[in-house]
Amino acid sequence: MLKFFTVAFHIAVLYIIFIAGTWIQQLFNLFIPGSVIGLVLLFTLLISGVLKVQWIEAGTAFIIKHLAFFFIPVTAGVMNYFDLFAGKGVVLILIGLISTALVMVTGGHVSQALMRRREAEHE
Amino acid sequence: MNEIWIGIAAVLGTIVCYQIGQFVHKKWPVSFTAPVIVATPIVIIFLLSFDIPYETYMIGGEWINQLLGPAVVALAYPLYQHWSTLKKLTVPLLSGTLVGAFVGVASGMLLAVWADVDGAIFYSLLPKNATTAVAMDVAVSLGGVGSLAAVFVMIAGVGGVMISSFVFKLFGPVDSIGRGIGIGSASHAIGTASAMENSELEGSIATIAMVVSAVAVSIIVPLLVMVFM
Repeated sequence: MLKFFTVAFHIAVLYIIFIAGTWIQQLFNLFIPGSVIGLVLLFTLLISGVLKVQWIEAGTAFIIKHLAFFFIPVTAGVMNYFDLFAGKGVVLILIGLISTALVMVTGGHVSQALMRRREAEHE
Repeated sequence: MNEIWIGIAAVLGTIVCYQIGQFVHKKWPVSFTAPVIVATPIVIIFLLSFDIPYETYMIGGEWINQLLGPAVVALAYPLYQHWSTLKKLTVPLLSGTLVGAFVGVASGMLLAVWADVDGAIFYSLLPKNATTAVAMDVAVSLGGVGSLAAVFVMIAGVGGVMISSFVFKLFGPVDSIGRGIGIGSASHAIGTASAMENSELEGSIATIAMVVSAVAVSIIVPLLVMVFM
């Protein structure tokens, strides 16, 4: 039971940081979403030692362990767009997938190659 | 009152579907059995077979959505834990992500032109590899449609995770740095969630890729459109 309250409290802290991120976004009219600003904000708070790890640890561990769960409702929204996938829609899906695969392979290989070159230099 | 019960039922139903997804993924740990990929179709099939509109399900789904923001914020913690390792890798990580972001926009553009896709659909497609909120903003600012952009983001996210183990096996990269960057810049938060299941380091790398590519995509899309369109 105590663990439940700890997790709930930590998630509340995350929620406050998320809200702060949304405020910053609206205040400065930024194109970056509030959640991503909140991510950078929490990171800064942790690195600078302003926020102690003990305040968010259990909640973050819980959320990250079940991260996929939170995406289920949004993803199910695709059901309202099944019409789009008929006919020419198949081409659109293919374009999306091919282009996404290209991102995966090129981005990943660039990082991997630069990493390996660096490792070789150090040896 | 009634709404509350519908909401509770929706949340409980989602939890059950998620657990089925987890079970299947444990049994066959490959990318196309990722919990979100197994669970979502079960939710959709259930709703369709009982004629429940998505909007009704979302009475409860909206409660889960409320936690999406904090969930993205939470990604800062593993990033913080692995920071001493990651900060030494800034150049390789950023270079890969920026190349990925550029390739995503440019290849989407070329393929769309080649397939004769234009107008609102064209602009909704371009920012697909960024996280939903960014992609919607970018699409709308150029004349695309927000919800359509969100569907393309889903294709990049869910579709990307689905094909990732196959694509990585065939074309690489092989190590967790390359794969983290690859899946994070291609499939944003859904990709990061799947990388997190492999290892925390891979997940943190994907987090960096997701954040940087959200910013990069929002700059690259209008730039390329201005130059070529």
